[in-house]
Amino acid sequence: MASLTCTNFTLLTAAAILLQITGLSLFVFGFFPIKPALSGVSGPESFRPSSCDSIEDQNFTALHPDHLKSLYQELSEIPPSYDRLILMVIDGLPAEFVLGRDDQPPSKIYKDAMPYTQSLLANKMALGYHAKAAPPTVTLPRLKAMTTGSIGGFLDVLFNFNTQALLEDNIIGQFFRIGWKMVMLGDETWLKLFPGLFTRHDGVSSFFVKDTVQVDNNVSRHLSYELYKNDWNLLILHYLGLDHVGHLGGRSSTLMGPKLKEMDEVIKLIHSSIIQNHKQTLLVVVSDHGMQENGNHGGSSYEETDSLALFISPKHSHVSVSPTINQVDIAPTLSLLFGVPIPKNNAGYLITDLFLPLQDHELLRAMELNSLQLLKLLEAQTTHFTCKSLYLDAISLHKSWKMKNDLRSASNDEFKNTVFAYNEFLKTASQQLSHTATDKPMGLLAVGVTTMLLSCIIFLFLLFKLIQETYQNLKLQLSEAFIAIIIIILVLSMGSSSLVEEEQYLWHFMTSSFFLILLHKTFKSKSTNKIKTSILISIIIISGRVLRGWHQGGVNWTHLPDISKSLENSSSFYIKLLQILSVFVILVLCFYTLSSLKSCVVISIMGSYFCVGLLVLNYVMKYQGDGDNDNDGILAAQMIYGLIVGLTSVMVVGSPWIVSFYLKDLVLKIKDCLYLSGIAYVFGWCFLQLLLQKPVNSMPISLLLVQILATICCGSDFKQWVEIGAIYYLGMAGHFSLGNTNTLATIDVAGAFIGISTHSTVLSGLIMFVITYASPMLSLLSMVLSISMKDINPKLKNMGQLLKTILGFPCLVPLGLNSVLLVAYTIILLLMRNHLFIWTVFSPKYIYVVVTTVCVLVGVLIVASTVTYIVSVVFLLRHRYYKHSASLLYGRREDDS
Amino acid sequence: MKDKKKGHNTKVSTSGGVLSPSKLLLSHLICGIGLASSFWLAINVYSINLIDNPAETLRLVWLIEVPVVILIYSLFRKDKNQSSYLKAVARGLLGLPIGAIINALGAIALGAPIGTHYFQRTLNWSLLMSAFTFVPAACVYGSSWADWQQTFVHTKLIGIMDYMICLPAHGAVIGAWFGAWPMPLDWERTWQEWPICVTYGAIFGYLVGMLGSICFVGFCVSRQHKKGD
Repeated sequence: MASLTCTNFTLLTAAAILLQITGLSLFVFGFFPIKPALSGVSGPESFRPSSCDSIEDQNFTALHPDHLKSLYQELSEIPPSYDRLILMVIDGLPAEFVLGRDDQPPSKIYKDAMPYTQSLLANKMALGYHAKAAPPTVTLPRLKAMTTGSIGGFLDVLFNFNTQALLEDNIIGQFFRIGWKMVMLGDETWLKLFPGLFTRHDGVSSFFVKDTVQVDNNVSRHLSYELYKNDWNLLILHYLGLDHVGHLGGRSSTLMGPKLKEMDEVIKLIHSSIIQNHKQTLLVVVSDHGMQENGNHGGSSYEETDSLALFISPKHSHVSVSPTINQVDIAPTLSLLFGVPIPKNNAGYLITDLFLPLQDHELLRAMELNSLQLLKLLEAQTTHFTCKSLYLDAISLHKSWKMKNDLRSASNDEFKNTVFAYNEFLKTASQQLSHTATDKPMGLLAVGVTTMLLSCIIFLFLLFKLIQETYQNLKLQLSEAFIAIIIIILVLSMGSSSLVEEEQYLWHFMTSSFFLILLHKTFKSKSTNKIKTSILISIIIISGRVLRGWHQGGVNWTHLPDISKSLENSSSFYIKLLQILSVFVILVLCFYTLSSLKSCVVISIMGSYFCVGLLVLNYVMKYQGDGDNDNDGILAAQMIYGLIVGLTSVMVVGSPWIVSFYLKDLVLKIKDCLYLSGIAYVFGWCFLQLLLQKPVNSMPISLLLVQILATICCGSDFKQWVEIGAIYYLGMAGHFSLGNTNTLATIDVAGAFIGISTHSTVLSGLIMFVITYASPMLSLLSMVLSISMKDINPKLKNMGQLLKTILGFPCLVPLGLNSVLLVAYTIILLLMRNHLFIWTVFSPKYIYVVVTTVCVLVGVLIVASTVTYIVSVVFLLRHRYYKHSASLLYGRREDDS
Repeated sequence: MKDKKKGHNTKVSTSGGVLSPSKLLLSHLICGIGLASSFWLAINVYSINLIDNPAETLRLVWLIEVPVVILIYSLFRKDKNQSSYLKAVARGLLGLPIGAIINALGAIALGAPIGTHYFQRTLNWSLLMSAFTFVPAACVYGSSWADWQQTFVHTKLIGIMDYMICLPAHGAVIGAWFGAWPMPLDWERTWQEWPICVTYGAIFGYLVGMLGSICFVGFCVSRQHKKGD
């Protein structure tokens, strides 16, 4: 079989990497469409066409709420129809239960369960709509859609992670700005979305799905007090019980009837109090999403997206003709009814029926305001849009109608035409806006997945080829097969949301199983340093167990005790002690590894590392944990950064020159250079982590280093690709030992500002990456050290062959393993796109997978370029040396003759 | 510890006359009955079960299983000429705590929880695992290090005895390993706690291992008979 040359090998790998990057970017942009959301909130400018912005609008937020309210009223030219609003959210109620399906009345059980609501509908006291919800049909994004009117993309989560508060413009914020008093009872999601906006609140948790009674009683117990209290403008009631009933027993649960009855009683209670009150109150009963026959939701089937919007007030007299709206239409409708600006990113359009009690010019004005807002959003989102002409038509019709109306000569037909033209524009614009947000370009996704799959196949092919070339005996041993088994098990487990949440258990379990198998294999082998190897593996296993107990990660068992929690609860003395200990351990390991290099330069390197260690210790003792970052602290951190980066680059770049003075053997020289650069990378990274990581994480860093060094030490007993695989797995397991999880909440944001004096997104993003990916990166950087410990065949005189031999596995194993995980997880994500937890579990995990890929690529690039640099410089120096000595020799011969 | 047996082993020697397939069947049957009766006792007499009282049930099970295993396997001690039956029993009793320590260490390395709350459970579980894995070998092999290594490290099985010890022991360990799988899932069942599902896995693996050793030995013996004819 013809073996691949180094050039072909490099070219194929580079091509595969490029394919991977291309495929990944195609998929990410297809799956998470970036919707250019407008920042800021709508103010007085939203009542005018975009051409006439005036300066006074800029500081409208400084206005007193009452002034702002009257300003809005004046600008909108529509008198508010109501004084106050009661928003009653019944979680998971399908509109079918109240309104029936396909013009059929609802089935008798449901009809009988809600007699009051049905009588309201029959007496035309209420307007009921099927409000189509966009997937994902789960509570949080649905509440966002109802209050902002926009259909959020997933990436917005990324841009404001760590805060759950809704930053986008929304009606609750608009109400707050005009000085409304708001009361919230029910699901605590509202409190997380709108912290500090509610005057009174009582949040209930949706965590206990088995509870269907108490969760609603906790809302209703305040109801009579609040209805009597009368000081609020907005009352939000969020009942979770019905959703819980669905989760327990599905649509046809025996608890469903009584629960609907309970909701009906609540509606009756509120409505009778509204009638008695002198204020004009609008009661809106909505559900956030529907449910399937078995009670689940999250996907995009009719049953799940069929949510309810029911407007109950004494004013209606009109029967609706189009009972299907979109859920996002609720936001603009409420804003216009209550005289606040429509939220900036709203994609919905007003429900015309609710404005029919108004006068003609007021209705047209409402439509105009909605059109203005949609037009601004369209202009911001798409460069070319087709419905501008529709807008212009509607505007011109409106203008002519206005002129005629002033002369009292406007006919009813003209009014109808204007309404029709506006409706036409609003509908088209709204559709266009929602499509850009929810449509997934399947073609793009398919191309992305195929490209990634192709690159994965190339990696695996190269890996297989290399194994075939390197080893004659292809019989697979259990320890080797286990590397593949781990990957297969991980891939299979990713389909389960709970195993994605608790991924750390899998990594720890598989990694320690793997090392137990290696231990068994060591017992079996006849090698002479059997005892040393078994001791090293035992150290790895013990450190692994301590690392596993350090952070109780995941989602479901975070409350269980772990080492980091007990350390944080005890006095800070122990943490400081552990920090000193870990600096000491790392320094000792550094000196020990350096001492095997016999050169006088080593002493000065040791001295420099000692300085770095002392400086880190000084920083940790003096500045860490202080809330405010004073200048001294920033300076100290910057000095450590500079020292580490400088030392590492000097050692790596200078290594061929430092080492080459006293060694004549080419292979030994290369090995020593690699050894020195490997030390520079590994220990530089470790000291950096001691500086950046949270105080409790200092010990895990040193334990990880111990594990990786021990693996490298006993690596000679195993095949190289097994060793590389083991190091890679240690890095991945260590990722979770540092307290990382698959939710975005565990990213250490506070650490990202260490040593940064000015706010810089790029720099703090980089530091955040360094902190989060400490462990995988350490394992990748240690590959240089691992390469230097391997025996290199001294017969290899060709630089290409040499590079291929020493770089093949350290580059291809991480790339191959990671590409399998990436492709598998991409396919799983695609299959799970309608899963209930797609946005909460699977998508955050995908972000981690993508960044891990970036980490692997960067790490492999560093390893490959370092090794290539060192080998080529050593070859060059030798070439020059030979040339020099040859010319000397030649010259002497000439002298002789 | 976790090396899988490779299925290409050569013929089974019944020479030595120590053990015939029927005896193997009988002894496995008695071990199985011992296990079953201990569970029956736990549920019907003491009214405890593995899910609600894991530590107590495990203690009862190993208290019954250990004597059964020691008494049976001591009959088949390899060095019949040198050591008496009582000596083999004593070896088995000595092997019990050693095996328990090894099993407990293995389990802790793989992530079994540590703490006073779990001490009783881990202790009783590892004693039961020792009865499955270590005690039979201690009774039969005694201090013959070569035999131990041959069975547990190299997995080279020669006699019926080796199958009788090796397969159930490996079965129990592999079963326990797989039994740990449901533990991180969020099903909120009490049996997901340590060491309940691991025990189920171990017992299942042990039974499968016993069945496997019976089948394998039976198969090999019948083939040999055919060849002999």
